[in-house]
Amino acid sequence: MSNTLISDQEFDKFAEFFYRKTGIKFDSSKRYFVDKRVAERIKETDSESFRQYFTSLRFQASGEELQRLTNLLTVNETYFMREDYQFRCLIDSMLPDVVSRHDPRKPIRIWCIPSSSGEEPYSIAMYLLEEWDGIDKWDVELIASDIDTTILETAKRGIYSERSVRNVPPAWKRRYFKDVPGGQQVDQDIRDAVEFTRINLSEPSDVRSIRNVDIIFCRNLLIYFDDLSRKVAAEHMFEAMSPGGYICLGHTESMGRISPLYRVKKFPAAIVYQRPLEARK
Amino acid sequence: MALKKSNIATASSDENELKDCKTIGQNLLSDDASVRRWAARDITHCDGASMMLLDQLEVETDMSVRQVILTSLTQVGDSEAVEGLVRCLRTEDAGLRNEAIEAMKHLPKEIAPIMACLLNDSDPDVRIFAVNILESLCHPDVEQWLIGVIRDDEHINVCATAVDLLGEVGSEQSTQALQELKDRFDEEPYIQFAADLAIKRITGD
Repeated sequence: MSNTLISDQEFDKFAEFFYRKTGIKFDSSKRYFVDKRVAERIKETDSESFRQYFTSLRFQASGEELQRLTNLLTVNETYFMREDYQFRCLIDSMLPDVVSRHDPRKPIRIWCIPSSSGEEPYSIAMYLLEEWDGIDKWDVELIASDIDTTILETAKRGIYSERSVRNVPPAWKRRYFKDVPGGQQVDQDIRDAVEFTRINLSEPSDVRSIRNVDIIFCRNLLIYFDDLSRKVAAEHMFEAMSPGGYICLGHTESMGRISPLYRVKKFPAAIVYQRPLEARK
Repeated sequence: MALKKSNIATASSDENELKDCKTIGQNLLSDDASVRRWAARDITHCDGASMMLLDQLEVETDMSVRQVILTSLTQVGDSEAVEGLVRCLRTEDAGLRNEAIEAMKHLPKEIAPIMACLLNDSDPDVRIFAVNILESLCHPDVEQWLIGVIRDDEHINVCATAVDLLGEVGSEQSTQALQELKDRFDEEPYIQFAADLAIKRITGD
């Protein structure tokens, strides 16, 4: 039988390891949340103790167990049209500015991180199709990333509860959803249009392939990071963006406290952050 | 035109390949700021990373590259990195100085052993910058260090900086030292005002 008890010292060691791997910091106030999930994995892996489990977690070459645990320790609560004033800002302000200096032969690129269960990228897709005239003239690529591989599979399936779709306008619901067992599923064309990828925003090698992004939605992710990890994430997003590109953060988050790399841009519908067009001295 | 599936995440390119340390070191000197930024990230795994980062920091003019260099120095956090950041406190470049202060705030474990030295530096500006570091340093001794400053430091500006911070982070144990500071600088109106304000904030009176 497994001994799933975790001592204070073991918790600190685990929290430090998990932080280094993901940028997500758990202090002792999160012990119940963390202990419960780690204990679950100790049992599932037939480990005899936390110590044995932690050793296998650290040294497993495939990283499979770390991914499973990460999937359990990330929060994925969201819904369609959440903080939709930023989508209004996307249509009315950010996209008109982006296309004014964009190469017409290249697609507009929008990146959602974290993707969570897909409500945000699908909401953006619907907004673009319903509200943006430019969709007739421009190709738009939507990339949605998350560190949690299980939630990415959920996002790709695109099946949602009534609660999750409660803010979708009825006409959009009729156009873009169909009833299926277990809820309402997003239209196949929209699901196919979004590229879902597993990315750890703290890991340079993960972020390296993402580039020339025009607009990033990174909402309610950085609140789980400590100051240094936030700065690293802000620098990685800077790298992924085209000069002049925009970042939308969650309404409780502010780039000013994270990194000086961006300029604040006040649009009528929202305050967002912009990568400057020119290098700054 | 329409929504279009991206293949960005599966696209391969030379940039995705890990480079050896010699190449990374050369890239740190590239004319292209983006190449220098990636080199500043990638170099953290190489021997002598801190020295190379610090050398580049001295001559780097692009703010985005400087930011990545400072983040990498913070992540490496070895004695060379800490010494280099301390040297930045003495530079005439105010931007670099402030960036070094911000970086050092992320290194509580590494900065703690040298904090006493910084707070006793012969240059009062360096002592003020050390107090600035304490502003966001997550360390249990912050209040004790600040009490030490207002008890012992002869320089009014250093004490004034420490008093302002004690008003934010101080507890009851600071009040006696604040009172003594008022006695020590009894003809300095700002100290009287700032110490009274700090005491009021701490005691809630």
